[in-house]
Amino acid sequence: MIIWIRKIHKWASLLVGLQVIIWVVSGLVFNVIDHQKARGNTYRQALTPTVSLNVNLIPVEHLLNAYPNTIELNQTSILSQPYYLLTQQQGLYRHFSNNYHIVNAVTGQLTLVDKPLAIAIAKASYNGPGDITSATLITPPIADFIKHKNPSWQVNFNDKLATSVYVEQGSGRVIGHSNSDKRFADFFYMLHFMDYGSAGNFNTVQIKLFAFITLWLTLTGLIWTIHLLRKGNYRFKK
Amino acid sequence: MDKNINKTNKSQTKSIKRPFKLFNLSHKIHKWLMLFIGVQFVIWSVTGAYMVFFDIDYIHGDSLVVAHQKAIKPENLTYATAKLFKKYPDAKNLSVGLLVDREVYRFKIAKQQFIIDASNGEKLSPLNKSTAIEVAKYHYAGKEDVLNAKLILANPEFGLSARHLPVWQVDFDHFSAPALFISANNGKVVSKRHRFWYIFDWMFRLHIMDYGDEENAGNWLLFFIAILAIFAVFSGLVLTYFKAIKPRLNTRKTLGKSKKKRPSSRSSVGGKS
Repeated sequence: MIIWIRKIHKWASLLVGLQVIIWVVSGLVFNVIDHQKARGNTYRQALTPTVSLNVNLIPVEHLLNAYPNTIELNQTSILSQPYYLLTQQQGLYRHFSNNYHIVNAVTGQLTLVDKPLAIAIAKASYNGPGDITSATLITPPIADFIKHKNPSWQVNFNDKLATSVYVEQGSGRVIGHSNSDKRFADFFYMLHFMDYGSAGNFNTVQIKLFAFITLWLTLTGLIWTIHLLRKGNYRFKK
Repeated sequence: MDKNINKTNKSQTKSIKRPFKLFNLSHKIHKWLMLFIGVQFVIWSVTGAYMVFFDIDYIHGDSLVVAHQKAIKPENLTYATAKLFKKYPDAKNLSVGLLVDREVYRFKIAKQQFIIDASNGEKLSPLNKSTAIEVAKYHYAGKEDVLNAKLILANPEFGLSARHLPVWQVDFDHFSAPALFISANNGKVVSKRHRFWYIFDWMFRLHIMDYGDEENAGNWLLFFIAILAIFAVFSGLVLTYFKAIKPRLNTRKTLGKSKKKRPSSRSSVGGKS
Protein backbone atom coordinates (compact mmCIF):
# COMPACT_ATOMS: atom_id res chain seq x y z
CA MET A 1 0.00 0.00 0.00
CA ILE A 2 2.79 2.41 0.85
CA ILE A 3 3.93 2.27 -2.76
CA TRP A 4 0.63 3.74 -3.81
CA ILE A 5 0.83 6.36 -1.08
CA ARG A 6 4.25 7.40 -2.39
CA LYS A 7 3.06 7.43 -5.98
CA ILE A 8 0.01 9.56 -5.21
CA HIS A 9 2.15 11.91 -3.13
CA LYS A 10 4.68 12.30 -5.92
CA TRP A 11 2.21 12.95 -8.71
CA ALA A 12 -0.06 15.17 -6.61
CA SER A 13 2.97 17.26 -5.70
CA LEU A 14 3.83 17.60 -9.36
CA LEU A 15 0.34 18.83 -10.16
CA VAL A 16 -0.17 21.30 -7.32
CA GLY A 17 3.32 21.91 -5.93
CA LEU A 18 3.82 25.35 -7.40
CA GLN A 19 0.41 26.49 -6.19
CA VAL A 20 1.18 25.14 -2.71
CA ILE A 21 4.27 27.36 -2.52
CA ILE A 22 2.14 30.28 -3.74
CA TRP A 23 -0.41 29.50 -1.01
CA VAL A 24 2.21 29.41 1.71
CA VAL A 25 4.00 32.57 0.57
CA SER A 26 0.79 34.58 0.06
CA GLY A 27 -0.48 33.26 3.40
CA LEU A 28 2.68 34.57 5.02
CA VAL A 29 2.09 37.92 3.30
CA PHE A 30 -1.37 38.16 4.92
CA ASN A 31 0.28 37.37 8.23
CA VAL A 32 2.81 40.18 8.04
CA ILE A 33 0.98 43.00 6.22
CA ASP A 34 -0.69 45.83 8.07
CA HIS A 35 -4.38 45.00 7.67
CA GLN A 36 -5.36 48.52 8.60
CA LYS A 37 -3.35 49.92 5.70
CA ALA A 38 -4.52 47.18 3.34
CA ARG A 39 -8.09 48.46 3.60
CA GLY A 40 -7.11 51.40 1.44
CA ASN A 41 -8.61 53.95 3.82
CA THR A 42 -5.44 55.84 4.71
CA TYR A 43 -6.84 59.14 3.41
CA ARG A 44 -10.51 58.49 4.05
CA GLN A 45 -12.68 60.55 6.30
CA ALA A 46 -16.21 59.67 7.27
CA LEU A 47 -19.24 61.37 5.78
CA THR A 48 -22.18 61.15 8.14
CA PRO A 49 -25.49 61.59 6.38
CA THR A 50 -27.68 62.88 9.18
CA VAL A 51 -30.76 64.79 8.20
CA SER A 52 -33.30 66.22 10.57
CA LEU A 53 -36.94 66.11 9.75
CA ASN A 54 -37.53 69.50 8.31
CA VAL A 55 -40.80 71.14 7.34
CA ASN A 56 -39.05 72.94 4.50
CA LEU A 57 -38.36 69.69 2.72
CA ILE A 58 -40.69 68.40 0.06
CA PRO A 59 -43.12 65.99 1.74
CA VAL A 60 -42.34 62.37 1.04
CA GLU A 61 -45.96 61.72 0.01
CA HIS A 62 -45.48 63.96 -3.05
CA LEU A 63 -42.32 62.21 -4.06
CA LEU A 64 -43.78 58.76 -3.76
CA ASN A 65 -46.62 59.80 -6.03
CA ALA A 66 -44.17 61.29 -8.50
CA TYR A 67 -41.94 58.21 -8.47
CA PRO A 68 -44.05 55.08 -8.32
CA ASN A 69 -42.39 51.68 -7.89
CA THR A 70 -40.29 53.00 -5.05
CA ILE A 71 -39.36 50.19 -2.69
CA GLU A 72 -37.82 52.39 -0.04
CA LEU A 73 -37.31 56.09 0.42
CA ASN A 74 -34.47 57.38 2.58
CA GLN A 75 -33.62 60.85 3.69
CA THR A 76 -29.94 61.40 3.16
CA SER A 77 -27.47 64.17 2.60
CA ILE A 78 -24.99 64.77 -0.14
CA LEU A 79 -22.36 67.38 0.63
CA SER A 80 -24.49 68.54 3.58
CA GLN A 81 -27.50 69.14 1.34
CA PRO A 82 -30.69 67.17 2.05
CA TYR A 83 -31.67 64.61 -0.57
CA TYR A 84 -34.08 61.74 -0.90
CA LEU A 85 -32.72 58.42 -2.05
CA LEU A 86 -35.44 56.36 -3.75
CA THR A 87 -34.66 52.68 -4.16
CA GLN A 88 -36.29 51.37 -7.33
CA GLN A 89 -34.67 47.98 -7.44
CA GLN A 90 -33.19 46.43 -4.36
CA GLY A 91 -30.42 43.84 -4.22
CA LEU A 92 -29.74 41.75 -1.16
CA TYR A 93 -26.65 43.86 -0.47
CA ARG A 94 -25.68 47.35 -1.48
CA HIS A 95 -22.89 46.06 -3.73
CA PHE A 96 -25.40 43.88 -5.62
CA SER A 97 -27.27 45.37 -8.53
CA ASN A 98 -29.44 48.23 -7.24
CA ASN A 99 -31.38 51.02 -8.88
CA TYR A 100 -31.92 54.45 -7.37
CA HIS A 101 -33.25 57.91 -7.96
CA ILE A 102 -31.74 60.84 -6.09
CA VAL A 103 -34.03 63.81 -5.58
CA ASN A 104 -33.05 67.15 -4.12
CA ALA A 105 -35.19 67.39 -0.98
CA VAL A 106 -35.56 71.16 -1.24
CA THR A 107 -36.10 71.75 -4.96
CA GLY A 108 -37.51 68.34 -5.85
CA GLN A 109 -35.12 68.13 -8.75
CA LEU A 110 -34.02 64.71 -9.95
CA THR A 111 -30.25 64.69 -9.50
CA LEU A 112 -27.72 62.71 -11.45
CA VAL A 113 -24.29 62.05 -10.05
CA ASP A 114 -22.33 63.63 -12.87
CA LYS A 115 -18.61 64.22 -13.01
CA PRO A 116 -18.46 67.48 -11.01
CA LEU A 117 -20.73 66.08 -8.28
CA ALA A 118 -18.75 62.81 -8.11
CA ILE A 119 -15.52 64.80 -7.80
CA ALA A 120 -17.00 66.94 -5.03
CA ILE A 121 -18.21 63.87 -3.10
CA ALA A 122 -14.84 62.17 -3.54
CA LYS A 123 -13.04 65.29 -2.29
CA ALA A 124 -15.27 65.47 0.77
CA SER A 125 -14.36 61.92 1.72
CA TYR A 126 -10.63 62.51 1.23
CA ASN A 127 -8.19 64.11 3.66
CA GLY A 128 -4.86 63.33 1.99
CA PRO A 129 -2.35 65.67 0.34
CA GLY A 130 -3.13 64.76 -3.28
CA ASP A 131 -4.97 66.56 -6.04
CA ILE A 132 -7.46 65.04 -8.42
CA THR A 133 -5.93 63.93 -11.69
CA SER A 134 -8.90 62.28 -13.37
CA ALA A 135 -12.45 61.08 -12.93
CA THR A 136 -13.98 58.33 -15.04
CA LEU A 137 -17.29 56.53 -14.97
CA ILE A 138 -16.64 52.79 -14.79
CA THR A 139 -19.09 49.99 -15.46
CA PRO A 140 -18.43 46.83 -13.47
CA PRO A 141 -16.21 44.89 -13.09
CA ILE A 142 -14.24 47.44 -11.12
CA ALA A 143 -10.74 46.07 -10.56
CA ASP A 144 -10.38 47.68 -7.11
CA PHE A 145 -13.82 46.48 -5.95
CA ILE A 146 -14.49 43.30 -7.87
CA LYS A 147 -17.68 42.42 -6.00
CA HIS A 148 -19.33 45.74 -6.70
CA LYS A 149 -21.98 45.47 -9.41
CA ASN A 150 -23.09 49.07 -9.95
CA PRO A 151 -21.60 51.72 -12.27
CA SER A 152 -19.32 54.03 -10.31
CA TRP A 153 -17.12 57.06 -10.70
CA GLN A 154 -13.44 56.46 -10.19
CA VAL A 155 -11.77 59.63 -8.93
CA ASN A 156 -7.98 59.44 -8.91
CA PHE A 157 -5.66 61.41 -6.64
CA ASN A 158 -1.94 61.99 -7.20
CA ASP A 159 -0.75 61.24 -3.67
CA LYS A 160 2.11 58.79 -3.18
CA LEU A 161 -0.32 55.91 -2.53
CA ALA A 162 -2.18 56.56 -5.83
CA THR A 163 -5.51 56.74 -4.02
CA SER A 164 -8.69 56.14 -6.02
CA VAL A 165 -12.08 57.05 -4.58
CA TYR A 166 -15.15 55.26 -5.91
CA VAL A 167 -18.52 56.99 -5.90
CA GLU A 168 -21.59 54.97 -6.87
CA GLN A 169 -23.35 56.70 -9.75
CA GLY A 170 -26.85 55.70 -8.71
CA SER A 171 -26.74 56.79 -5.08
CA GLY A 172 -23.77 59.14 -4.70
CA ARG A 173 -22.50 56.85 -1.94
CA VAL A 174 -18.74 56.46 -1.49
CA ILE A 175 -18.14 52.76 -2.05
CA GLY A 176 -14.63 52.98 -0.80
CA HIS A 177 -11.09 54.11 -1.24
CA SER A 178 -8.36 52.08 -2.82
CA ASN A 179 -4.63 52.65 -2.94
CA SER A 180 -1.34 50.89 -3.59
CA ASP A 181 -1.44 49.18 -0.16
CA LYS A 182 -4.85 47.68 -0.88
CA ARG A 183 -3.88 46.72 -4.43
CA PHE A 184 -0.78 44.97 -3.08
CA ALA A 185 -2.90 42.91 -0.66
CA ASP A 186 -5.55 42.28 -3.34
CA PHE A 187 -2.88 40.86 -5.63
CA PHE A 188 -1.93 38.29 -3.01
CA TYR A 189 -5.57 37.48 -2.31
CA MET A 190 -5.97 36.85 -6.02
CA LEU A 191 -3.02 34.45 -5.89
CA HIS A 192 -4.16 32.75 -2.69
CA PHE A 193 -7.71 32.27 -4.01
CA MET A 194 -6.43 31.32 -7.49
CA ASP A 195 -8.85 33.93 -8.73
CA TYR A 196 -7.03 34.33 -12.01
CA GLY A 197 -10.23 35.17 -13.86
CA SER A 198 -11.22 37.88 -11.33
CA ALA A 199 -14.44 36.19 -10.27
CA GLY A 200 -14.10 37.99 -6.94
CA ASN A 201 -14.47 34.84 -4.86
CA PHE A 202 -12.74 31.59 -3.97
CA ASN A 203 -15.29 29.17 -5.41
CA THR A 204 -13.73 28.85 -8.85
CA VAL A 205 -13.38 25.51 -10.63
CA GLN A 206 -9.60 25.68 -10.63
CA ILE A 207 -9.26 26.15 -6.88
CA LYS A 208 -11.76 23.36 -6.17
CA LEU A 209 -9.76 21.02 -8.36
CA PHE A 210 -6.47 22.05 -6.75
CA ALA A 211 -7.95 21.81 -3.26
CA PHE A 212 -9.09 18.28 -4.04
CA ILE A 213 -5.65 17.22 -5.27
CA THR A 214 -4.01 18.95 -2.31
CA LEU A 215 -6.16 16.90 0.04
CA TRP A 216 -4.66 13.77 -1.52
CA LEU A 217 -1.20 15.29 -1.25
CA THR A 218 -1.43 16.11 2.46
CA LEU A 219 -3.26 12.96 3.49
CA THR A 220 -0.78 10.71 1.71
CA GLY A 221 1.99 12.76 3.30
CA LEU A 222 0.43 12.17 6.70
CA ILE A 223 0.15 8.42 6.14
CA TRP A 224 3.70 8.29 4.82
CA THR A 225 5.04 10.14 7.87
CA ILE A 226 3.19 7.78 10.23
CA HIS A 227 4.56 4.87 8.25
CA LEU A 228 8.12 6.20 8.59
CA LEU A 229 7.61 6.75 12.31
CA ARG A 230 6.38 3.22 12.85
CA LYS A 231 9.24 1.81 10.82
CA GLY A 232 11.61 3.74 13.05
CA ASN A 233 12.93 5.88 10.20
CA TYR A 234 13.02 9.02 12.30
CA ARG A 235 16.39 8.81 14.05
CA PHE A 236 18.91 11.55 14.74
CA LYS A 237 21.94 9.46 13.81
CA LYS A 238 22.39 6.93 11.11
CA MET B 1 24.25 20.26 10.21
CA ASP B 2 27.20 21.48 8.09
CA LYS B 3 29.52 18.99 9.70
CA ASN B 4 27.22 16.16 8.83
CA ILE B 5 27.02 17.20 5.23
CA ASN B 6 30.82 17.43 4.97
CA LYS B 7 31.19 14.00 6.49
CA THR B 8 28.83 12.41 4.06
CA ASN B 9 30.60 14.19 1.20
CA LYS B 10 33.93 12.78 2.22
CA SER B 11 32.62 9.33 2.65
CA GLN B 12 30.92 9.39 -0.70
CA THR B 13 32.83 8.47 -3.80
CA LYS B 14 33.60 11.13 -6.39
CA SER B 15 31.30 9.57 -8.92
CA ILE B 16 28.25 10.89 -6.98
CA LYS B 17 27.28 14.14 -8.60
CA ARG B 18 26.57 17.46 -6.90
CA PRO B 19 22.76 17.41 -7.31
CA PHE B 20 22.57 14.50 -4.91
CA LYS B 21 23.70 16.81 -2.11
CA LEU B 22 20.71 18.99 -2.85
CA PHE B 23 18.46 15.95 -3.03
CA ASN B 24 19.66 14.56 0.31
CA LEU B 25 19.43 17.90 2.03
CA SER B 26 15.91 18.49 0.68
CA HIS B 27 14.92 15.01 1.69
CA LYS B 28 16.11 15.57 5.25
CA ILE B 29 14.46 18.97 5.53
CA HIS B 30 11.18 17.75 4.09
CA LYS B 31 11.05 14.62 6.20
CA TRP B 32 11.89 16.33 9.49
CA LEU B 33 9.95 19.55 9.04
CA MET B 34 6.85 17.70 7.98
CA LEU B 35 7.08 15.51 11.07
CA PHE B 36 6.48 18.64 13.11
CA ILE B 37 4.31 20.84 10.90
CA GLY B 38 2.79 18.31 8.54
CA VAL B 39 -0.36 18.16 10.62
CA GLN B 40 -0.87 21.86 9.94
CA PHE B 41 -0.70 21.11 6.22
CA VAL B 42 -3.47 18.57 6.69
CA ILE B 43 -5.47 21.19 8.60
CA TRP B 44 -4.81 23.81 5.92
CA SER B 45 -5.90 21.52 3.13
CA VAL B 46 -9.01 20.20 4.89
CA THR B 47 -10.20 23.62 6.07
CA GLY B 48 -9.24 25.21 2.77
CA ALA B 49 -11.17 22.55 0.87
CA TYR B 50 -14.24 23.16 3.03
CA MET B 51 -14.07 26.87 2.34
CA VAL B 52 -13.70 26.55 -1.42
CA PHE B 53 -16.17 23.69 -1.93
CA PHE B 54 -19.06 25.44 -0.19
CA ASP B 55 -20.37 28.38 -2.16
CA ILE B 56 -19.57 31.51 -0.17
CA ASP B 57 -22.99 33.06 -0.90
CA TYR B 58 -24.62 29.95 0.54
CA ILE B 59 -22.36 30.20 3.59
CA HIS B 60 -23.44 33.83 4.02
CA GLY B 61 -27.04 32.64 4.00
CA ASP B 62 -27.96 34.59 0.87
CA SER B 63 -30.19 31.74 -0.23
CA LEU B 64 -32.10 31.86 3.06
CA VAL B 65 -33.77 35.15 2.26
CA VAL B 66 -35.79 36.69 -0.54
CA ALA B 67 -35.01 40.21 -1.72
CA HIS B 68 -38.61 41.45 -2.02
CA GLN B 69 -39.24 44.14 -4.62
CA LYS B 70 -42.65 45.24 -3.40
CA ALA B 71 -43.27 48.94 -4.01
CA ILE B 72 -44.69 51.44 -1.54
CA LYS B 73 -48.30 52.41 -2.18
CA PRO B 74 -48.40 56.17 -1.56
CA GLU B 75 -52.16 56.11 -0.96
CA ASN B 76 -51.54 54.08 2.20
CA LEU B 77 -49.59 56.92 3.82
CA THR B 78 -52.69 58.22 5.54
CA TYR B 79 -50.77 59.34 8.60
CA ALA B 80 -49.14 62.46 7.16
CA THR B 81 -45.47 63.13 7.76
CA ALA B 82 -46.48 66.63 8.95
CA LYS B 83 -48.11 64.97 11.96
CA LEU B 84 -45.04 62.84 12.45
CA PHE B 85 -42.83 65.96 12.53
CA LYS B 86 -44.96 67.41 15.27
CA LYS B 87 -44.99 64.31 17.40
CA TYR B 88 -41.27 63.48 17.00
CA PRO B 89 -39.51 66.81 16.48
CA ASP B 90 -36.04 65.33 17.15
CA ALA B 91 -36.35 62.57 14.57
CA LYS B 92 -33.56 62.17 12.04
CA ASN B 93 -32.96 60.14 8.87
CA LEU B 94 -36.57 59.49 8.01
CA SER B 95 -37.25 56.55 5.76
CA VAL B 96 -40.41 55.20 4.19
CA GLY B 97 -40.63 51.50 3.50
CA LEU B 98 -42.54 48.35 4.17
CA LEU B 99 -42.84 46.06 7.14
CA VAL B 100 -44.13 42.89 5.46
CA ASP B 101 -47.25 44.36 3.83
CA ARG B 102 -47.76 47.67 5.56
CA GLU B 103 -46.18 51.04 4.87
CA VAL B 104 -44.06 52.29 7.75
CA TYR B 105 -41.93 55.28 8.71
CA ARG B 106 -38.54 54.55 10.19
CA PHE B 107 -36.38 57.18 11.86
CA LYS B 108 -33.78 57.77 14.53
CA ILE B 109 -33.86 59.83 17.69
CA ALA B 110 -30.31 60.06 18.99
CA LYS B 111 -29.20 56.44 18.41
CA GLN B 112 -32.60 54.86 18.99
CA GLN B 113 -34.53 53.64 15.94
CA PHE B 114 -38.32 53.72 15.65
CA ILE B 115 -40.98 52.24 13.39
CA ILE B 116 -44.34 53.96 13.02
CA ASP B 117 -47.26 52.59 11.05
CA ALA B 118 -47.69 55.04 8.15
CA SER B 119 -51.43 54.47 7.98
CA ASN B 120 -52.33 55.41 11.55
CA GLY B 121 -49.21 56.57 13.39
CA GLU B 122 -49.16 53.55 15.69
CA LYS B 123 -45.73 52.86 17.18
CA LEU B 124 -44.59 49.35 16.19
CA SER B 125 -41.15 49.30 17.74
CA PRO B 126 -39.79 47.51 19.61
CA LEU B 127 -41.25 44.62 17.65
CA ASN B 128 -43.27 42.08 19.60
CA LYS B 129 -42.73 38.38 19.18
CA SER B 130 -45.56 37.69 16.75
CA THR B 131 -44.56 40.60 14.47
CA ALA B 132 -40.94 39.46 14.55
CA ILE B 133 -42.00 35.96 13.51
CA GLU B 134 -44.22 37.41 10.79
CA VAL B 135 -41.31 39.47 9.44
CA ALA B 136 -38.93 36.49 9.57
CA LYS B 137 -41.41 34.24 7.75
CA TYR B 138 -41.94 36.90 5.08
CA HIS B 139 -38.23 37.11 4.33
CA TYR B 140 -37.39 33.42 4.76
CA ALA B 141 -36.93 31.70 1.40
CA GLY B 142 -37.75 28.21 2.65
CA LYS B 143 -41.08 26.65 3.51
CA GLU B 144 -40.18 25.29 6.93
CA ASP B 145 -41.97 26.27 10.10
CA VAL B 146 -40.66 28.54 12.79
CA LEU B 147 -39.21 26.57 15.69
CA ASN B 148 -38.92 29.38 18.18
CA ALA B 149 -38.11 33.05 18.56
CA LYS B 150 -36.12 34.72 21.29
CA LEU B 151 -35.28 38.33 22.01
CA ILE B 152 -31.58 39.05 22.50
CA LEU B 153 -31.02 42.20 24.52
CA ALA B 154 -27.38 41.91 25.57
CA ASN B 155 -24.29 39.74 25.21
CA PRO B 156 -24.88 38.62 21.62
CA GLU B 157 -23.49 35.21 20.77
CA PHE B 158 -20.50 34.93 18.51
CA GLY B 159 -21.13 36.17 14.98
CA LEU B 160 -23.76 38.73 15.85
CA SER B 161 -22.74 42.37 16.09
CA ALA B 162 -23.74 44.22 19.24
CA ARG B 163 -24.87 47.20 17.16
CA HIS B 164 -27.86 45.13 15.98
CA LEU B 165 -29.26 44.75 19.48
CA PRO B 166 -31.98 44.37 20.55
CA VAL B 167 -32.71 41.65 18.03
CA TRP B 168 -35.15 38.77 17.57
CA GLN B 169 -33.58 35.44 16.69
CA VAL B 170 -36.10 33.38 14.75
CA ASP B 171 -35.12 29.74 14.20
CA PHE B 172 -36.51 27.61 11.38
CA ASP B 173 -37.05 23.88 11.29
CA HIS B 174 -34.37 22.67 8.86
CA PHE B 175 -31.33 20.44 9.27
CA SER B 176 -28.98 23.35 8.59
CA ALA B 177 -30.53 25.14 11.61
CA PRO B 178 -31.19 28.44 9.84
CA ALA B 179 -31.95 31.54 11.88
CA LEU B 180 -32.94 35.03 10.80
CA PHE B 181 -32.15 37.94 13.08
CA ILE B 182 -34.75 40.70 12.99
CA SER B 183 -33.91 44.05 14.53
CA ALA B 184 -36.52 44.82 17.18
CA ASN B 185 -36.08 48.54 16.50
CA ASN B 186 -36.25 48.76 12.72
CA GLY B 187 -37.82 45.43 11.72
CA LYS B 188 -35.14 44.59 9.17
CA VAL B 189 -33.27 41.33 8.68
CA VAL B 190 -29.90 42.31 10.14
CA SER B 191 -28.27 38.90 10.01
CA LYS B 192 -28.80 35.35 8.84
CA ARG B 193 -26.95 32.31 10.03
CA HIS B 194 -26.98 28.57 9.65
CA ARG B 195 -24.92 25.61 10.79
CA PHE B 196 -22.55 25.75 7.82
CA TRP B 197 -21.67 29.36 8.57
CA TYR B 198 -20.56 28.45 12.08
CA ILE B 199 -18.56 25.51 10.72
CA PHE B 200 -17.04 27.80 8.11
CA ASP B 201 -16.00 30.18 10.84
CA TRP B 202 -14.25 27.38 12.72
CA MET B 203 -12.56 26.29 9.53
CA PHE B 204 -11.32 29.81 8.93
CA ARG B 205 -9.93 30.07 12.45
CA LEU B 206 -8.10 26.78 12.10
CA HIS B 207 -6.85 27.87 8.69
CA ILE B 208 -5.26 31.06 10.04
CA MET B 209 -4.26 29.33 13.30
CA ASP B 210 -6.26 31.80 15.29
CA TYR B 211 -6.57 30.13 18.65
CA GLY B 212 -7.25 33.39 20.42
CA ASP B 213 -9.76 35.87 19.08
CA GLU B 214 -7.81 38.09 16.77
CA GLU B 215 -10.03 37.42 13.75
CA ASN B 216 -7.25 38.11 11.29
CA ALA B 217 -4.20 36.33 10.02
CA GLY B 218 -1.70 38.38 11.99
CA ASN B 219 -0.46 36.10 14.76
CA TRP B 220 2.99 34.86 15.74
CA LEU B 221 2.11 31.16 15.68
CA LEU B 222 1.04 31.41 12.05
CA PHE B 223 4.15 33.46 11.28
CA PHE B 224 6.59 30.81 12.55
CA ILE B 225 4.71 27.89 11.07
CA ALA B 226 4.42 29.67 7.72
CA ILE B 227 8.16 30.39 7.65
CA LEU B 228 8.92 26.72 8.32
CA ALA B 229 6.24 25.77 5.81
CA ILE B 230 8.07 27.66 3.06
CA PHE B 231 11.17 25.52 3.66
CA ALA B 232 9.09 22.38 3.91
CA VAL B 233 7.28 23.04 0.65
CA PHE B 234 10.35 24.23 -1.20
CA SER B 235 12.31 21.13 -0.20
CA GLY B 236 9.30 19.09 -1.29
CA LEU B 237 9.37 20.78 -4.69
CA VAL B 238 13.06 19.87 -5.07
CA LEU B 239 12.16 16.24 -4.33
CA THR B 240 9.36 16.42 -6.88
CA TYR B 241 11.85 17.68 -9.43
CA PHE B 242 14.27 14.83 -8.77
CA LYS B 243 11.61 12.13 -8.50
CA ALA B 244 9.04 13.13 -11.07
CA ILE B 245 10.56 15.54 -13.58
CA LYS B 246 14.26 14.77 -13.91
CA PRO B 247 13.99 11.03 -14.63
CA ARG B 248 11.71 11.81 -17.55
CA LEU B 249 14.00 14.52 -18.87
CA ASN B 250 16.87 12.05 -18.73
CA THR B 251 15.00 9.31 -20.53
CA ARG B 252 13.97 11.77 -23.19
CA LYS B 253 17.57 12.86 -23.62
CA THR B 254 18.91 9.36 -23.85
CA LEU B 255 16.12 8.43 -26.21
CA GLY B 256 16.97 11.40 -28.41
CA LYS B 257 20.65 10.55 -28.39
CA SER B 258 20.10 6.95 -29.13
CA LYS B 259 17.85 7.86 -32.03
CA LYS B 260 20.48 10.11 -33.53
CA LYS B 261 23.24 7.59 -33.05
CA ARG B 262 21.37 4.63 -34.25
CA PRO B 263 18.75 5.66 -36.76
CA SER B 264 18.18 2.09 -37.74
CA SER B 265 17.59 0.92 -34.15
CA ARG B 266 13.89 0.43 -34.81
CA SER B 267 14.41 -2.10 -37.47
CA SER B 268 16.77 -4.02 -35.30
CA VAL B 269 14.41 -4.28 -32.33
CA GLY B 270 14.41 -7.75 -30.98
CA GLY B 271 17.82 -8.46 -32.37
CA LYS B 272 20.24 -7.83 -29.53
CA SER B 273 17.94 -7.08 -26.64
